[in-house]
Amino acid sequence: MPEPGAEMKIHKKVFNHYLSCTSPVDKEGYLYKMKERTATYHRRWFVLKGNVLFYQERPADRHLLGVIVLEGCVVRRVEADGQLCFSLVFQAPGLRAYRFAAEERLTQESWVKVLLSASHCNLSLLVRDLGHQYEEAKREAASVASGSTVKGDSSQQPSVARARHHSLLTIEGAKCDVRDGRSYSTGHMLQEPSFSPKAANKKSPKHWSKRNAHVTPLNGPAPLYGEWPSVGLDPLEEFSKLHEYYGEEVLQVRGAWLRRRQVDKEQREAALIDI
Amino acid sequence: MRFNEKELVSLSRQPSERAAELGMKGPKKGDVVKKRLVKLVVNFLFYFRIDEEEPIGALLLEQCRVERESGQVFSIAFLDETEKKYMFECDYEEQCGEWIDAIIKASYEFMRKNLIFYRTEIHRLTGQDPLEQYGISDETRFQVNSGLQLTSKETSSM
Repeated sequence: MPEPGAEMKIHKKVFNHYLSCTSPVDKEGYLYKMKERTATYHRRWFVLKGNVLFYQERPADRHLLGVIVLEGCVVRRVEADGQLCFSLVFQAPGLRAYRFAAEERLTQESWVKVLLSASHCNLSLLVRDLGHQYEEAKREAASVASGSTVKGDSSQQPSVARARHHSLLTIEGAKCDVRDGRSYSTGHMLQEPSFSPKAANKKSPKHWSKRNAHVTPLNGPAPLYGEWPSVGLDPLEEFSKLHEYYGEEVLQVRGAWLRRRQVDKEQREAALIDI
Repeated sequence: MRFNEKELVSLSRQPSERAAELGMKGPKKGDVVKKRLVKLVVNFLFYFRIDEEEPIGALLLEQCRVERESGQVFSIAFLDETEKKYMFECDYEEQCGEWIDAIIKASYEFMRKNLIFYRTEIHRLTGQDPLEQYGISDETRFQVNSGLQLTSKETSSM
């Protein structure tokens, strides 16, 4: 353990491993990073994984120059020095800002966008919100299946979702009280993306439904690259829920298949008669 | 390796998911158990000498395995060196279980998997992509097949 007054121990091996393992890379590329002391820019290779921004001189360099942990900061687009800049500004008093410059507008925009939503706090709020929507969707599906609700319910969802959207996203710092996620509406804010949602959403429903067919259930087979699955949910509870819902889907699809088969059969018989 | 130390120290002062005085032992031979204030904030485990304001260390809780070693003891091992374990002694069994649970659920990668699961399920149940409202539906970090291998089970339609 370090002496009093010494630098906090960061266990850099853990960072090195996180960088080099096969967990998803959220974005990577060259950027210029400004050195505070000299106010000069240095080209570095950046890799964003989760809430950690790694930087090295070159891709796949053995030596990791540094990391920036992205909690408690805001992202600001900056037009300075005639450059396409942006900053990571840490909010608490006495903390610094990191300045970056991109070579192209598109690079600047895409980094700003991905960094805006990179924090753990942000993801945590998203997961909680989606968790609630999931519970609601299940309840609705269950009551529709039992024939007890009015069809009009599905039209409510977009406006309910929109209302939640406004309570979660306001233009302020990303400071986050993680102790009680349920109280996130009071003073706990996400940064509003500066792009209009319509512009950002390029995928048509057609593409999305194809992806849906490849879903891996939460408790599905472990990823093949040797990663330890860190699943903490009660497998029995989750499995029975999954079993129920995939089971329903299987019944529906099978029913449709049987009906199609019947239709095909009748058509074939009709064709024979014609001849 | 450079890191934003001041910002991490500031993070360690944020309200935490869980904090307690635990007996902590490092992974090296000859490391002994020491009483530390252990604090879980986002996906970091900070540890402090008792009654000190600034943490003496921070463990990034990604790519790690958390295990119960005995009734009151849990360990954290990182996947490149699974024999090297950080040990934590709790005061009672239930506390030990709660810490294990909290640490597993704190990982960014765990949360990402949850998000993808909810996104897929909500779309399946409602026909709508819940991430559209946030304008992030095309972000690669939340794609269904991001980083996960497909198996033959998923690719067959029935």
